[in-house]
Formats: sequence, structure tokens, C-alpha cells
Amino acid sequence: MNSSITLEARAAIENLNYEWARLIDENKIEAIGDLMTESADYKVASRFNVDRNLPSAVIHCRSRAQLLDRITAMRVANIYEKQCYRHVVSGVQVLGAASDFGANAWETRANYVVIRTMEHDGSMIVYSTGQYCDVVVFEGDAPKFARRHVVYDSRMIETVLVIPI
Amino acid sequence: MNQPTEFAQHLANSPWPAEGPSRAPYWTFVDPATYQREQEKIFRGSNWHFLGLEAEVPDPGSYKSNRIGDTPVVLTRDHDGSLHAVVNRCAHRGNIVCRDELGKAQSLYCVYHAWVYDLKGNLTSAAFRRGIRGEGGLPEDFKLEDHGLQKLRVATICGLVFGSFDHHIMPLEDWLGEVGDGIRRTLPRPLKVLGYDTQRIHANWKNYHENPRDSFHANILHTFFATFGLSRQSQESAMILDSAGRHVYFYTKAGTERPDENFDKTQSTLRSKKSDFNLRDMSLLNWQDEYGDGISIQILTLFPSFVLHQISNSLATRQLVTYSPTMCDLHWTYFGFEDDTPEMTDRRLFHQNLVGSAGLVSMEDASVCEMIRRSLGESPEGASFMQMGGKDLTSGGTSKLSERALRNFWHTYRGQMGL
Repeated sequence: MNSSITLEARAAIENLNYEWARLIDENKIEAIGDLMTESADYKVASRFNVDRNLPSAVIHCRSRAQLLDRITAMRVANIYEKQCYRHVVSGVQVLGAASDFGANAWETRANYVVIRTMEHDGSMIVYSTGQYCDVVVFEGDAPKFARRHVVYDSRMIETVLVIPI
Repeated sequence: MNQPTEFAQHLANSPWPAEGPSRAPYWTFVDPATYQREQEKIFRGSNWHFLGLEAEVPDPGSYKSNRIGDTPVVLTRDHDGSLHAVVNRCAHRGNIVCRDELGKAQSLYCVYHAWVYDLKGNLTSAAFRRGIRGEGGLPEDFKLEDHGLQKLRVATICGLVFGSFDHHIMPLEDWLGEVGDGIRRTLPRPLKVLGYDTQRIHANWKNYHENPRDSFHANILHTFFATFGLSRQSQESAMILDSAGRHVYFYTKAGTERPDENFDKTQSTLRSKKSDFNLRDMSLLNWQDEYGDGISIQILTLFPSFVLHQISNSLATRQLVTYSPTMCDLHWTYFGFEDDTPEMTDRRLFHQNLVGSAGLVSMEDASVCEMIRRSLGESPEGASFMQMGGKDLTSGGTSKLSERALRNFWHTYRGQMGL
């Protein structure tokens, strides 16, 4: 545990987590690209696979461009029932320095709950819960995700995963 | 049990349309009595059902839990290396005997009253069988050998394990017929599991099963395919059914465009080909022709609930398990070959972005199933219409622009259901 992170940096990391959730929930999903480094790795994998050291992931974008492509596909190509998310993010923790990612890089965790609402009939479900396993780096004063790995708890996905978590 | 009466009543009120297999009445997608009959006649009937990969039960004592329709089953590898499958339900009082999804065990043990079975499903002991101090215990005439787990017949092809409730069913390879060629082509070497994905679909299992049999929706519904040339109707392709019409596979060869005036005319009206949709990063479209036959996509569907796909370099099985007339799960198992290079494993994992619950290509399928479910309601009238390529079981030939494989599905379904 490296405890040399400043309170300001800790607050900035916490805010970065909330910012990601807010942009998705407000349907400004393209803007999450601004919260990532260019080479950021965004992955969504089930706890079932992660616990068994199985490498399969339902989403794996190996760069910001790939995640933005996915969001474009979601907007113009993919067919799915209209829906929106409400994220509840809690327990943002800085575990320590992520020295593999250079200086001022931090290994962080957070919990999330996503409640999904369908437009056509208003039905709501707890769509996903899980953990963000992230590395946050600072580009100047701005914190960015260099890695955002979503580990979701249920091995089952309701119908489709189209909006990023 | 009033199921047979309800079912007969249904047929009397709403018989199968006279057009035969080119129509499927919508009540078959929502009716509880039909669902119960499917479990008996199709899932516990004379068919081979996917149980898992040999690679999932590699060692003596390995097991995998699964379901056939809604019946829980366990695939095991015995200490002598042989594969077995049993119903996961204690012969005593019906409790689950194998509670974990995957693992290793010496025996199958019921936690409720300690009935213990070997990995072939034979009962080896029952707790307090002799009672205590001459009291309690099982009757004198109780024989362990009369109380084993229900056993399935098991067979394998290219590392895939199948099971059947019918011990007199024809051999697996005969049952597969010509469609077995599609399996042998795609799985030439020992497999290595990469992971799992379960997609819950709030629709009838047949809505999903029809989907991969329907080779002509792909380029209409799935924009990602058409826009980037992964699969278009103008490419070299074919559809192959076995002679009994139970199963089907079709393939497409990317990069083999053959111009056609009708294609151009239709294509310009399809929403699926978006000229304004460009990728920032095209690397997802890079694939390696690992079989050397130019086939970029092959989708193989077995009656009633199994799919094997090659989409670029993603390889996976898909298995439908059922819960009710209007809910099923699609279990995706992703794999490669034991001898894959790290680069090939990485490519397969990357191409998983195209498929599965979050697949850029395949996510639409579950969505459409649920939209159909939404349109049907609880007591739908009418029937679907499937006459692309013709009206009977043979018309349409090998063209992918055809609903021939759907007509054959409904023909087999009616035969097994006695409809």
C-alpha cells in the first residue's frame, strides 16, 4: 500500500468514477472517451470467468478508439429496445500505486449497481452489479482511466449488453 | 395432470395451418401445455443434446452441470476415463446431487440424506440403510442397483459431447448426417475453453432456434456484417441440410463479391448497409483464414437447441436451455485449440467482441426474439409465414436466400410433437 497519494488526487479519482456514471446515465455516452487515455483498455468480464482464470470477456476494447467505435455502433447500427441506465457507484478506493503505468498511476476499485429502465413499458430491473478494477493515471491535473475492467457478478446478462457499464 | 387434454383442446381450436411447414402457429410460442409436451417429446425424446466439451471434463472425476431443456443433467468422466451423463436428481427424494457448475469429485453425493452415486450414476450407498439397533433403515428387499440416477446415452464428435434420453437412438454420426461435415471441418484438433457467457432471452426457445437457421436475416438485421463486408448475400455461400432435414449449416466466404443487379437494387434499400458508419479502428475486421478454405463465417445448427459458430476467428458453441414458454438462456462457450499460438488465442478473444451477449453483430438476435415475444402477447392468433425459396422441404436448394431450413425445422418439430 502506497499512501503517498494526496487528498486532492484521491478526490479527483472519486470524481472521475462519478463522472463516468453520470455521462452514461445522461446519455452523453461518447464523452466517456474523454475520461480515458488514448491507449486505455476497457473490458467487461463475468466474475464466473475471472474466478476461473478464463480470459473470455463479453466486451474488450483495447483502445479508446475501439470503445468509441462500439458507441457509434450502438447509435447507428445495433438494434435493441430503447433503454437507459442509472448507475449507483460507491466504495471508491485507492489500493496503491500502479507502477507498471508510470509515475502518478493508481490502482483503484469501486462498486457499482446499474438499474436498467426500458422505454416501451417502463420496466426496471437490477441489470448488473459488480466491481470496477481500474488504473487511473494523471495527465497533468486530469485523472484518466488507463484501464477500466468491469467484473460483473452474475454470469448471466439480461437480453443484451449494449450501453457500456 | 390435465396437460394432454389441454393440448388436445388447443389443437381442436387452432389446428396447424393447411400450408404445412411454411407456417408456424403463434400459439406454439406461448402455450404452457405445448412447452410441457416439448420437454417430453423433444428434449427427453429421441434426439441428441449437447452436454459440453470433452475439454471441460478433462480428468477422471471431472464433471459439468448442464440442462437438457429444463431437466438438469451432469456430464462426468469416470475414473476409467469414460464419459457418462445422468439426470441431476437424487433417486431418493429428488434433490440435486451435483451443485457446482464445473469441478472434480470422487462421487456424486446428495447432501440431503447422503445417498452416494459413482460417476456412472450407480447408487453405492445410502445412509442408515440398516437402521440403528434394529430400528429404521430400508426394507430387506431394497437393492442399491435398482436406485441409480437416470442415465443418458453419450456420444462424442470432435470434442463435443452429446447425450440422449433414448438409449435406442441412432448413432450420433448417423443422426448428424451431412451436417457432421461442418463439425469435422471446424473442429479438427483438441479444444481449449476460453470462457462462458449466458444470455437470458425473454422469449420462446424456438424464436431463438429459428434465428441461426434463418440464413437470410443476417445481412438485413446485422448492420455490422453488411457494412464491413463480413457477410453479404453477394458473396460465395451455401446452405447444407442433412437428408432428414433436422440440421443445417451455412457458410460465407468474405471477399468473394459477385455483382448482381437484384442485389444492388435491394441492398440500396436495406437499413443494414450504412455508408456513413466508419470505424476508427479497423483491426476488429482482420481475420486469419485458419482452415485455408476462405470461409469467414459458418453457422451450424442442430435440432433442437445447439449452434456451433465460426465467425472470423471466434469459435463457440451456443446451447439453449429452457425455463418456461417465454424464457430461455443461451449458453455461449468460447474456445480455441490446445495448440493455438498466443497470437491466435488473442485474436479469438478479440473477435468475441462480435458475438455473444454484447456482440456487435449478434446482439440483435436476442433483441428481435423479445420484440416478437412482445408482439405475440399471451393468446396470439395467426401464424408465421416462411416461403422464401419455396413452400416445401426441398425448395430453395442451397441458396442462403431461403427459409428452407426453417420449414424443415417445423416439419421435424411437428413429427416429434405429434402435431
